[in-house]
Amino acid sequence: MSNNAKTALVLVAIALTTFAGIIAKYWVLHG
Amino acid sequence: MSAVLDQHGHAAPHGEHRGHPSGVMRWITTTNHKDIGTLYLWFSFIMFMVGGVMALVIRTELFSPGLQWVDPDFFNQMTTMHGLIMVFGAIMPAFVGFANWQIPLMIGAPDMAFARMNNWSFWILPFAGALLIIAFFVPGGAPGVGWTMYAPLTVQMGIGMDLTIFAVHLLGMSSIMGSINIITTILNMRAPGMTLLRMPLFVWTWLITAYLLVAAMPVLAGAVTMTLTDRHFGTTFFNAAGGGDPVLYQHIFWFFGHPEVYIIALPAFGVISQVIPAFSRKPLFGYASMVYATSAIAILSFIVWAHHMYTVGMPVQGQLFFMYVTTLIAVPTGVKVFNWAATMWKGSLTFETPMLFAIGFLFLFTLGGFTGLVLSIAAVDIQLHDTYYVVAHFHYVMVAGALFSAFAGVYFWLPKWTGRMYDETLGKIHFWLTMIFFNVTFFVQHFAGLAGMPRRIPDYPLMFETWNRISSIGAWGFGLSQLLFLYVVLKAISSGAKAPEKPWEGADSLEWTHLPTPVPHHTWETQPVLH
Repeated sequence: MSNNAKTALVLVAIALTTFAGIIAKYWVLHG
Repeated sequence: MSAVLDQHGHAAPHGEHRGHPSGVMRWITTTNHKDIGTLYLWFSFIMFMVGGVMALVIRTELFSPGLQWVDPDFFNQMTTMHGLIMVFGAIMPAFVGFANWQIPLMIGAPDMAFARMNNWSFWILPFAGALLIIAFFVPGGAPGVGWTMYAPLTVQMGIGMDLTIFAVHLLGMSSIMGSINIITTILNMRAPGMTLLRMPLFVWTWLITAYLLVAAMPVLAGAVTMTLTDRHFGTTFFNAAGGGDPVLYQHIFWFFGHPEVYIIALPAFGVISQVIPAFSRKPLFGYASMVYATSAIAILSFIVWAHHMYTVGMPVQGQLFFMYVTTLIAVPTGVKVFNWAATMWKGSLTFETPMLFAIGFLFLFTLGGFTGLVLSIAAVDIQLHDTYYVVAHFHYVMVAGALFSAFAGVYFWLPKWTGRMYDETLGKIHFWLTMIFFNVTFFVQHFAGLAGMPRRIPDYPLMFETWNRISSIGAWGFGLSQLLFLYVVLKAISSGAKAPEKPWEGADSLEWTHLPTPVPHHTWETQPVLH
């Protein structure tokens, strides 16, 4: 895998985790 | 930045486009960073005009007390869409346009890392913009909730709210993809010898901004997704009746919203950091401290969000924490302002249009920063919250900060992009009209706010009439002045004098020192080596 692809994957993972995490956090707190 | 090159940027001949689409298809299918930069810049200007017309509707209604032209519901729609379009459709894409044009040129990269994704990032935008506009024509009209889209009002809006939420999702996707592209390009595709601390400051500010975007935009996407599920899928994240909390929305929104301020401001700082040294004929004073100050601002921007919410009833300890860390931002910001002033100190200054806009930025952005300090004091903010003082403050930051810097950048790089010079006299007239009418519009809003005039209202007591009349006259002058900008740019492109190879003798980044003017369609096919 190229360096560019690795960098992009790390950044996508950060973005998706933040997005899903913030919803999941308040979903769990709310429940 | 000083550098010695072993190889010059390779200018490919223009005949290289055999078999490539032309006309409209060229722009739809392009993967060239320069084309995509141009698309971003024109798109942002169109949205600037659309958002500007909305601002004029607002200011025309506010010319006199009482309801004159639009009903209150439509007025709220105007304030909402003006904010959303200016922030997400005009200012942010403008600086992404600069990033697309300049970053590969400045670091010696042949293009952005993911050229096809770059095309996609841009072409999402017109659809998002269209959704925002279409919202006006659906039952219930566009949402009138303010650009912050606070719950629980968002739950009560019509289908226009859903279109807006979808538009925000698209805009966020575009920003995140653009940021991934920028970070990857800067980290992995710099020319040999272009170490991080030799990069032009514009590139540094965009590297930090792109990280802010990757961290902050998903938070906004999460907030509007929760709003969507509250509206249609039976959740009650923000609905107190179901055990939720409307104030939670504000916390999540501003956790995104304050970094967003710096997402807009940092690239503006980057442009100014290129322009001031070029017209001072001196290297940027305190380069390393500028990098550290930019990083410090970015980090602090994530821990100050609740200074937007002093009035929700937070504990005094919370108010104190957010007050202190907010005032702390003045330190790295002060470092930057000091460094720009020190760069000019004993420089061989000339005052062409880019420099005028940069100095205008310096004065007015600093004024916006000072009013920000005033508002950071919780006891004061509780008095001024939701008044026109706040409106004046953030327009000094957003318009005099970001927009002035964007104008400086366009005038600065237009000769490099097009090979044509703009009309210097008209450029200067544009600056002075913009400078004067900007202050006529927004300076008086401080007084209206201090006197207690609330924001986001179509009607007001007679005591506020004078300030509002002055502000509305200024707004029309400011808006019309921007037509002159359009004329100056079109005139330069169509019939401007041929630009010299290096029109600004103090400019020293790679695109000025080692690439021809106008810059060829493909550059750095052989990467330069810097010693």
